[in-house]
Amino acid sequence: MNNTYDVIIIGGGATGAGIARDCSLRGVKALLLERSDISTGATGRNHGLLHSGARYAVTDHESAVECIRENMILRKIAAHCVEETDGLFISLPEDGLEYQATFVEACRKAGIRADIIDPLQALRLEPSANPALIGAVRVPDGAVDPFRLTSSNIIDAKAHGAEIRTYTEVTELLREQDRIVGVRAYDHHTRSEMCFYAQVVINAGGIWGHGIAAKAGITINMLPAKGALLIFGHRVNNLVLNRCRKPADADILVPGDTISLIGTTSSKVPFEEVDNMVITPDEVDLLLREGEKLAPQLAQTRILRAYAGVRPLVASDDDPSGRTVSRGIVLLDHATRDGLEGFITITGGKLMTYRLMAEWATDLVCRKIGVNQTCRTAETPLPGSAESRREVDRKLHDKPVVQRRSTISRHGALAVEIDSRDSIKNSLVCECEEVSIGEVEYALENLAVNNLVDLRRRTRVGMGTCQGELCACRAAGLMGRRDPVCARKAKADLVSFLNERWKGMAPIAWGDTLRESEYTTWVYEGVCGLSDETEKTAAQ
Amino acid sequence: MKFDTVIIGGGLAGMTCGIRLAEAGRRCAIVSQGQSAIHFSSGSFDLLGRLPDGTAVTDPVAGIAALEKDAPEHPYAVIGARACEKYAQEAPRLLREAGIPVSGDCRANHFRITPMGKAVPTWLTIDGYLTAGQPGALPFRKVCIVNVEGFLDFYPEFIAEEFRKAGVTCRFGSFNHPDLENIRRNPSEMRSANIARVFDHEKNLEALAASICEAAADSEAVILPAIIGINRNDALEILKQKVAKPLYLLPTLPPSIPGIKAQQLLQRRFRALGGEYFLGDTVLPAETENGHVRCVRTANHGNIPFEARDFVLATGSFFSRGLIASPDRILEPVFGADTLHAPSRAEWYTQRFFDRQNYQAFGIRTDRSLRVVKEGVPVDNLYCAGAGLAGFHPVQDGCGAGVSLLSALHVADRILNSKQS
Amino acid sequence: MNIQQNTVSENNFEQCIKCTVCTVYCPVAAVNPDYPGPKQAGPDGERLRLKQPGFFDSALKYCLNCKRCEVACPSNVRIGDIIQAARIKYGPQHNTSLRNFVLANTDLVGTLATPFAPIVNTAVGLKPVRYAMDKVMAIDHRRVFPKYAHGTFTAWYRKHAAAAQAAYPKQVAYFHGCYVNYNNPQLGKDLLRVMNALGYGVQLLDKEKCCGVALISNGLHKQARRQAQTNLHAIRTAVNDRGMDVITTSSTCTFTLRDEYPHLLRLENDDVRDRIELATRYLYRLLKEHGKELKFKDTAPLRVAYHTPCHMEKMGWGYYSIELLRMIPGVEVTVLDSQCCGIGGTYGFKKENYATSQAIGAPLFRQIEASGADIVATDCETCKWQIEMSTSKPCEHPLHILASRLA
Repeated sequence: MNNTYDVIIIGGGATGAGIARDCSLRGVKALLLERSDISTGATGRNHGLLHSGARYAVTDHESAVECIRENMILRKIAAHCVEETDGLFISLPEDGLEYQATFVEACRKAGIRADIIDPLQALRLEPSANPALIGAVRVPDGAVDPFRLTSSNIIDAKAHGAEIRTYTEVTELLREQDRIVGVRAYDHHTRSEMCFYAQVVINAGGIWGHGIAAKAGITINMLPAKGALLIFGHRVNNLVLNRCRKPADADILVPGDTISLIGTTSSKVPFEEVDNMVITPDEVDLLLREGEKLAPQLAQTRILRAYAGVRPLVASDDDPSGRTVSRGIVLLDHATRDGLEGFITITGGKLMTYRLMAEWATDLVCRKIGVNQTCRTAETPLPGSAESRREVDRKLHDKPVVQRRSTISRHGALAVEIDSRDSIKNSLVCECEEVSIGEVEYALENLAVNNLVDLRRRTRVGMGTCQGELCACRAAGLMGRRDPVCARKAKADLVSFLNERWKGMAPIAWGDTLRESEYTTWVYEGVCGLSDETEKTAAQ
Repeated sequence: MKFDTVIIGGGLAGMTCGIRLAEAGRRCAIVSQGQSAIHFSSGSFDLLGRLPDGTAVTDPVAGIAALEKDAPEHPYAVIGARACEKYAQEAPRLLREAGIPVSGDCRANHFRITPMGKAVPTWLTIDGYLTAGQPGALPFRKVCIVNVEGFLDFYPEFIAEEFRKAGVTCRFGSFNHPDLENIRRNPSEMRSANIARVFDHEKNLEALAASICEAAADSEAVILPAIIGINRNDALEILKQKVAKPLYLLPTLPPSIPGIKAQQLLQRRFRALGGEYFLGDTVLPAETENGHVRCVRTANHGNIPFEARDFVLATGSFFSRGLIASPDRILEPVFGADTLHAPSRAEWYTQRFFDRQNYQAFGIRTDRSLRVVKEGVPVDNLYCAGAGLAGFHPVQDGCGAGVSLLSALHVADRILNSKQS
Repeated sequence: MNIQQNTVSENNFEQCIKCTVCTVYCPVAAVNPDYPGPKQAGPDGERLRLKQPGFFDSALKYCLNCKRCEVACPSNVRIGDIIQAARIKYGPQHNTSLRNFVLANTDLVGTLATPFAPIVNTAVGLKPVRYAMDKVMAIDHRRVFPKYAHGTFTAWYRKHAAAAQAAYPKQVAYFHGCYVNYNNPQLGKDLLRVMNALGYGVQLLDKEKCCGVALISNGLHKQARRQAQTNLHAIRTAVNDRGMDVITTSSTCTFTLRDEYPHLLRLENDDVRDRIELATRYLYRLLKEHGKELKFKDTAPLRVAYHTPCHMEKMGWGYYSIELLRMIPGVEVTVLDSQCCGIGGTYGFKKENYATSQAIGAPLFRQIEASGADIVATDCETCKWQIEMSTSKPCEHPLHILASRLA
């Protein structure tokens, strides 16, 4: 086995995936190592907001400028991951209108279109907005699906020669004198260790990048910031709703695919907790309280789940106290910073700027290894975005309408790859999100799916209102078809999937959510006879 | 409208109580908000599978006696072990007379086999479904598991994986038919009920039998998901004759054919005994007057109340909204009865789905006669039966159906023996 | 477009917890795989339509609006309403066919037909005419058309009954509906006879339009809304100004006036809803709750099988009609299993639905034939047509049976 590469990327979030793609497009041979599945960290645990940058315009001009630029780029290159909804910054009586003028002026300076519109017009555009609003500004916000975005980057990276290894955890950075020459990694599937070598190792581990750097004896002053969010059962709003005031907790409501989500809270957490975020009742209450101010309808809307992500905030190197925190992109060349060659860290930033972060990191790699290629990721559409949804829809017009539209919204132009030749392939696994057998099989074969949770990220199986109650068993059944080992693994996987779903439901388990949970218990524990034992015995 | 007894809730408890009272000549009405949880039946009825400490129960009657000592809040303990045994003898008769042919023994659990191949202790199983005396003690060494192509609510590979552990060799068969192809034109309707309608036609049953024979080869027996006999009772017999090998059914995911049929048979039985079944109606919040219920009103019947001497609250737990969880309380919506629950939501559940969740044992407070308690005082003519009762874990302890059946019979007994009668 | 308009309110569809029980009881999904079924067409589809109206599936037209999904739903989801509201909101708005227009405008067509009833009745009975209707309008040639009466109920009432009715001390208003007016005035006369026997006079509303049920199901909701406003105005006048309750003889008209107006046409009727009721329920109250009595004559025994129409099942009022029948000496009542007859108002008249319609009704027809009854009773006129066309038994309204046995 050839285990030597030009570059090793640690971390399968949007940034890591973006770097893998950028490197591959420039002919740099890349290996991406991810300890779990792609987009499991902060990438998949945020608003999914296609920022216009307006939110940062007043407080952080630089970030605002980066956002609006990347916003326009993503609309082109990642059309199938983006919903061009636009957004409103609404002023409520308690906010006053003073901030609005400052806000619009700052947007203008950053190059963000910001139109003050009449409150009545705002309510016509977005009927779910709080009718008490006294002012509204329309900005080019939108929604972006981080799972699709990351997955498309991975697909393209692979297509251009990158190697992607998920469930492979870096355990050691291999050092020769003042140089990192590779990594030792543990493969969770084969339960074996192996070494990989490269000229440059990139730390793109998000908040976990702190620990990765530590393996090289390097300290990066990171502050884990927890942000909790709530997902609502259906799409309440069609425009992103923001509060027109200084950024605060729970003041953004984003429509994304079939749902809407409100967030976030913001609190510092110790590093020991970043792998196991627990949502507190206080956080839920705060999100609901503030959310209702944006859209009063939320008070009557079913909550599907609660979850939290951890932002990697980085303190400036010249301020060890950690008070000056940058939300901007941080690219550290450890050769210049720490005298350690062959190792760089890319962190900070946000989902919106993943591509720019990847570009910066890849530029640095290219300089280091002497590749003279310019970045093309700002112009080259991702797989799936090469054709418009409309064109793909035309190609597939003979397929059932609801399924067809769902599939296209998830896979864009790649929807044509999904087997829909007969009625069996078209039969639905997930009825909430309209995922067919064909789509599940496509994901299993092409999108590096190892378990039901991965499958959820690729296809939305289990993301609907039933949170897997009706479809998890069906998807597990399909995964277990191959051989007895698969069957045992799939059954255990089903148990862990239900445990994973429950984690997001427990913080909000009252009303219909508790009804749904009780019913799920009847089906899986009662009718099917599954238990935690099922998972344990399979592991043996 | 005047009745002897008005039963709120048309699930297993409500119908059992109604049938028992109607058998005794009482004029009963059942008001049900919609179809009930019987639709999710596994084809078996559990009495007691485990004690609260996790000990497996082999003799449910003995287990109930242990509960009386160790878990006094459990409905079985409230009813009393001796009465429970009496009702446990009576319940199978009631089910059989309704046309649900069940077998089993309240002194010895047997094991039902789930759609994923697990063996779960149970009390009564509908005839035709695969059971085992002990886990792994299957009545064959070589079996053929046949499924309908594209049917996702049944798991042959999962079943085979469990059977192999018991040393049983499995082969698979798959059945397709133009009439099934027809159902599949709709991507979401490959459900057991729709498939079963295909097999209401004798010709299709014959085609299935032929396909089974071919797939079975040298297998000793055949397993089929419960996808036959929705509108005809002879479907299994016809298949068995044609296949000429032992043929066993396994339940599917809900709504299951045994569940749908059980619901309809119980309903029919209740009506045949003169009961009035009001489906799709909601009982509105009702008042008690001096610890007594005079009447209830419903959404459909408005200014015509349901009057009765006795009322039975058989509205179930959370699923059927007999109990409603708000973020900080558990409410009983019709009478505002007292409920037993942990005060803070943090104590309602743990982080793992398959843990023993406290919320499952929450329910309505009753006295020893299962009379509903409101503001600390029992309401003299209002009883509670079924899943709405407090103090038990229906799934983890394998006692959900048993509590419904036994508490319903107990309430019927109380009503029939009360002084006013 | 205001996306929230006509959405069934209060996010009711979110109460669905995917238990799938509705699909077991949907009469259409059981026989027509082109229909996505109530779960998919209703709550699941609604969530997708809220994401993007393009998720509207034209196959929703196969829903016959029987509401049996709602009756079955353990979660109180207004599945049928969600589906019909989606058709109104997202469905084709302006391309109503001539066929749908003719079928939906029972009022207009009735007005045109009744003066020429003998000719019309003969004509629509003729094979060539039926084939022509099949070809030109896609109204199935196998469908037997209801006969038109020669002269309307209202014309008869004004000429022969108005004065006598006014003389009674107590009065109720009668929403007769298109069927009584154009097809079966006798049922209206039967109602007068029964009410008069109890000391009640029967008044017409100041103005009555077709309740609109057929307009709604044929996509003509704007016209339905206009007619509903007229009816509600007339009902309010009767209730508020003249102090009368409003009774009806059609279960579907009753259901439409009481529930479809607020749920689908967004016309609030809270103030008068409880005052609109089915005549059999009104009679039940008089006889059972207010101690009134009717005198019956001795007649030959009659075995009656009662069929519960879908909208009757939804209202839950079959009990009253059945109890009323049971009160008649010599009448032996059996209650048929409640299942859809398949006609669904105008649904079964359409060529594309004929096979579905008859397949849905087949189990009911078998049950009727096996019942040993002399006659089938039901409160819905379209069920009556379907049963008479598809079985060997006559089918009558319970009030007709009651009236014919009064002393």
